Amino acid sequence: MLKVKNGDLDKLGQLFERYKKPLYGFFYGLTRQQDVSEDLIQNTFFRILKYRHLFREQAESNGGEFRAWMFHIARNVHFDQHRKKKLISDDLENWQDRIGHTENKATEIQQTEELQLLAVAMDKLPLEKREIILLSKYEEMKYNEIGEVLGCSEGAVKVKVFRALQELKAIYKQLERIN
Amino acid sequence: MEKAIADLIAKYNEGLADPSEVQLLEQLIEAGKVHLTQLTDLNHLHNQVVQLESAKPDLSVDDRFYQMLAVEKQTHKSAPVIPMYQRMAIAAGLLVCGFMIGYLLQSDSGEKEVNQLTEQVSELKEMMMLSLLEKESATQRLKAVSLTSEMDQVSDKVTDALFATLNSDENVNVRLAALDALKPFVKSGKVRSGLIASIAKQDSPLVQLALADLMVNIQEKKSVDALKQLLEKENTPKEVKSKISESIEVLI
Repeated sequence: MLKVKNGDLDKLGQLFERYKKPLYGFFYGLTRQQDVSEDLIQNTFFRILKYRHLFREQAESNGGEFRAWMFHIARNVHFDQHRKKKLISDDLENWQDRIGHTENKATEIQQTEELQLLAVAMDKLPLEKREIILLSKYEEMKYNEIGEVLGCSEGAVKVKVFRALQELKAIYKQLERIN
Repeated sequence: MEKAIADLIAKYNEGLADPSEVQLLEQLIEAGKVHLTQLTDLNHLHNQVVQLESAKPDLSVDDRFYQMLAVEKQTHKSAPVIPMYQRMAIAAGLLVCGFMIGYLLQSDSGEKEVNQLTEQVSELKEMMMLSLLEKESATQRLKAVSLTSEMDQVSDKVTDALFATLNSDENVNVRLAALDALKPFVKSGKVRSGLIASIAKQDSPLVQLALADLMVNIQEKKSVDALKQLLEKENTPKEVKSKISESIEVLI
């Protein structure tokens, strides 16, 4: 990223190739909409390009610094999109959307029943809790990095993950009983 | 303590922990005394989430990204980023050129405009000097200080900046250069009193000696007290003390 900041824009292509999948997974996990997730990736990299001069490195050797910065931007991009969407559509529509996509997902991805149930449970989790679990997944459970993204301490991140997992577990058990 | 924590974890893993114990567990997690991996059920769930197959983006994402990058590269090439001080230097240069052309074309008329332009040029030089003084590199700050030699008159802003440099710049050479730059303005009472006040603030022997020399040259008797203070300071080197004593004798 430092090279990009200093004008070597080709290097951004490498970063894009490395992070487009985790970023897409993060956005898809939050929105469940393919086209929206793709737009959000585009917007994230647009902001990275636009604000590249603001990137400050400390220890970029393992890519951690850039990843935290990128997810920080990604969260803002999603937050802006989510707010806009809220303004133009009512909650009922959102719910219908999400239920529809959840069903599609169960058929389109061939996974074990257990994992399918887990995916449905994830969808039922409140946005904030879903986000922290997705961040822990795509930040490879590096809690200090997630702390940088969210602007809180590593301990606070762990507690957030703990609470989110507890709720996920409760939803999962509930679904298991219904099935 | 450790046993109590182990018991609590075991209780939680068996699903027997009550709300107050869960709260205690949260505090221990926050303090780093309990790791999420120790909570078997949750850890298993977490690992499963990680295993959940991620959706993959469509190829159109690549197209759009590389298109955006290409556009940015083009604009980046056509508009290179020039540092602020260089921009100001170019602006000043252009103004000087404009001034000279104007002067050649109509040397008889428009004396007023010429004066205005000269004023603008010196204002620009001042701005450039002030912005260069902010630089991290000592060479740049030296450049800034030397710019004052090209100015016939300086504003209070410039002398204030020079004093700030003389009193607090980390580099001795820059401080000495600031002192040199102030010499032409010693006729001003404000500059003289500023220089006297600066004596006590210096800890470098070179600057102390240079100030003492200057005081002798301009015959500033008011500086005797400040010089005496230097003599009383424990950390003033012997050589400097003897030189300052000489200076004080000359001044009295």
